[in-house]
This record gives sequence, C-alpha cells and structure tokens, in this order.
Amino acid sequence: MNLLKAGRWITALGLVLLAGVYVRALAFTPIERTQGVAQKIFYLHVPAAIWTETAMILVGLASAFFLFLKDPRLDRFAEASAEAGIVFGSIVLTTGPIWGKPIWGTWWTWDARLTLTLLLFLMYVGYLLLRGAVTDAGLRARYAAVLGICGACLVPFVHLSVIMFRTLHPQPIILKPGPPSLPAEMLVTFLLSFGVFTMLYVGFVMQRYALSLLREEAQHA
Amino acid sequence: MPENTPYMVAAYCITAVILLAYAVFLYRRTLKP
Amino acid sequence: MVEILRHGWLLARKDLLVEFRSRTAILSAVVFTVLVLLVFNFGRDPTAVAAVDLAPSILWVTFTFAAVLALNRAFQLELENQALDGLLLAPVSRASIYLGKLVANLIFVAVVEGVGLPLFALFFNVAILPVLGPLLVVIALATVGFVAVGTLFSAMTARTRFAELLLPVLLLPFMLPPLIWAVLATAALLAGRPLSEATAWLRFLAAFDLVFVTLAFLLFPATVNE
Repeated sequence: MNLLKAGRWITALGLVLLAGVYVRALAFTPIERTQGVAQKIFYLHVPAAIWTETAMILVGLASAFFLFLKDPRLDRFAEASAEAGIVFGSIVLTTGPIWGKPIWGTWWTWDARLTLTLLLFLMYVGYLLLRGAVTDAGLRARYAAVLGICGACLVPFVHLSVIMFRTLHPQPIILKPGPPSLPAEMLVTFLLSFGVFTMLYVGFVMQRYALSLLREEAQHA
Repeated sequence: MPENTPYMVAAYCITAVILLAYAVFLYRRTLKP
Repeated sequence: MVEILRHGWLLARKDLLVEFRSRTAILSAVVFTVLVLLVFNFGRDPTAVAAVDLAPSILWVTFTFAAVLALNRAFQLELENQALDGLLLAPVSRASIYLGKLVANLIFVAVVEGVGLPLFALFFNVAILPVLGPLLVVIALATVGFVAVGTLFSAMTARTRFAELLLPVLLLPFMLPPLIWAVLATAALLAGRPLSEATAWLRFLAAFDLVFVTLAFLLFPATVNE
C-alpha cells in the first residue's frame, strides 16, 4: 500500500525530528525568565493544541462534505482525523495541567483554552464510541457525520462564551501561558516543533486511513 | 527555578510516550498477518 | 409547513398518550427528581453553605437528569414491533417525525420541571416568585437546547448496543455549554442581581437553540433514511 508506506516513513521521520526538537528545546533554547524551565512545555503543548482543534475542524468539514457527496473516502478521513485529534488532545490535557501546577499553582482552571480542549476531547471520545457502537458500515458513516457536524458547530459557541466567562469572572491566577512576541530562538524552536507535529498528524492520518482500507478489504475477502 | 524541572521532564516524557505509543499501535495494526 | 406542524403534533400526541397511559416513565422521573432534591438538601450544612449559593447547580442537575431520562426512552418506543419502520413508511415528512419527538420530549421534561421547580423553591427556601418570568425563560431556553440535540442523538443511539450509556456520553459536550449558561443565569437571577447581568447568558442560550434546532431538523433525515 503506497499510502501506508508513505505514512510510515513520514511518521518515522516525524518522530526522529521530534527528538531533534526535544534537544533544541531543552539544550539550545534560552530559559524563560519568569517561568523557568517549565515554560519549555510550551513547545509541545501549543502545537498539540493547534492540531487538536484543527483536526476537529477537518472532521467537521469532512463530515459535512460526506453527507452531501456520500464519498466513503471522506468518512475514512474523518475517522482518521478524529483518532489523531484524540491523541493530540491527550497530550494537551496532560501537559496543560502539568504546566499549570507550578506556574498557576493549580492543576486546572476554567481558562478558555483548557475548557475548549476538554470539550473537544469529550467530543472525540463520543465520536469514536459512536463509530464503535454501530455495526452497519453505511449507518456508521452517516451517524458519525451527523455527530461530526454538530461537534464542529459547537466549537465557536464554546470559544466565544468561555472567553466572555473569563472577562466577567476574574481568574485566580496571575500568569497566562500565551505566546506574546517571542525572542527569535524561542520562535524558531516553536515553529520547528509545530512543523514536526504537522508531520506527525499527516503521518498518523495516512496510516489510519490505510488501516481503514485494509479492514474493509479484509471484510470483503 | 530548578524546582520546575520535574514538571518539565514529566511533560516531555508523557508527550513522547503518547506519540510513540500511537505510532507503534498504528504500525502493528497495519502489519499484514 | 402547516402539514409539518400538524403531523408533528399528531405524532407528539401519540407518544404522549402512550406515555401518560402507562405513566411509568413520568412517575420515575418525578420520584427521582424529588429524591435528588431531598438528598442535596440533607447533604448540605445549612450553617456553612447558604442555599442560594448551591441552589442553581442543584436545580440544573435535577433538570438535566430528568432530560436524560426522557431522552433515553424517546426512541425506545419505536424499537418494539419495528414501529420505527411503520413511522418512516407513513406519509409524513421526516421533519414532522423529528418535530413530534421533540415536542413530546419537551412536554415530558416540562412536566418534570413543573413539579421540580416548586419543590426546589420549597426545600431550599429560595424566593423564585420575584424572578419567575426571567427564570422560566432561562429554563425554557436551556431545556429546548439540550432536548433538541438529545432527540437527534437518541435517534442514532436507539439501535446501538449500549444505548442508555452511549446517549449521555454523546450528549455531554453539547449539554455543558447550555448548562453552564443556565446555571450562571439562574445564579444571577436568584441572587437578586440586575437582569442585565443574565442577558449575556440568555443571548447565548437563544443563539444555541436557534443553531442547534435548525441543525437537528437538517440532520435528522440522515439518521433515519436507509
């Protein structure tokens, strides 16, 4: 399978480059003044978060197009993107609290991004559970698409309302781990990490898509 | 702030574990029997 | 358009007649609501925690459980004797089927809320009468929100293996935002804060309802067409 081989190579390359990013982030990037070493979590956490949300948007788009075009390739892609999304979501939800504890003094806060990521994660879980619970392939694809579209439509509501919530109720924290203007070396590390995460998303989706194809072939055999 | 280091290490380890685990999972699931 | 409304109402009537003749589901829902309110009441130390601080959350937990109970049984009626196929073959549009289910579910949940709200006011000694109007609006908007999404999802989960477990799991991310807005609005109202503070949440609730009821009508056919 060409797709599978390409996916494997891309993933492997991505993992090797990830090691490179680790080295660069830990040894060759300056330590941030106020947050210290813990700030370096940023280089993993933010790219993962960007891809968690992007993967969901792609699931939503693929789902919408699937209901119109009925092309099974879109459904396979949605499934693959959802799995990748849940993987990256797990990274965000573990590294987030680990970063928050030393910096904010608390494991969790109903900050806009964490709340959104938690809801996204729950949507991914629901999406994959629904797929697992429906045995008929055609039905499964349609149901998943319905859920995917609803999920993608929920995201803007959560984004807007949690931001509002934040401004009405002051947060019990001082610092916000947002990226203001970064010094050059930090920016480069961040961009390299984002590139690696992108590569990993692509590699994962390609392999997962190929897996769906293999399973379908096995069923028809 | 050296006391932050354990957190950073934990986060970097968990990320690596999650990504490697999924990569291995995909690899093994796509091996032809 | 009128046809959809008429058929929708006929279908809702059918569901409601079946429901209220047997009365099991509605009674369990009401009993459950009373139970939850009692437990919360005895579970709190009145000297340590003021009722009005806890009240909005308690109210909404109760209503949420009632809604999930209603939604779980929504499509189960159709599973027996392949009634769903009969429904789909009938000369009614998919939209009216959804509308019928939605209205039936809303009425069911409204009955439970109608019992729950006065009991809540009684047990927790909360003054709801001065804010009754706005409070009812909040309750109505939030209920429509999660029942609309829940009715759509229950069409999908009804035929799966762990239907009663799967439905709440799927519904959770969609219930959280309206629930949070409803709790915040209720808290603002019960604390006697000016109405303007609750309006932001009301606007979100209204927007959510608009978007998701429309979406549900559009997507429902995809869940029942072969």
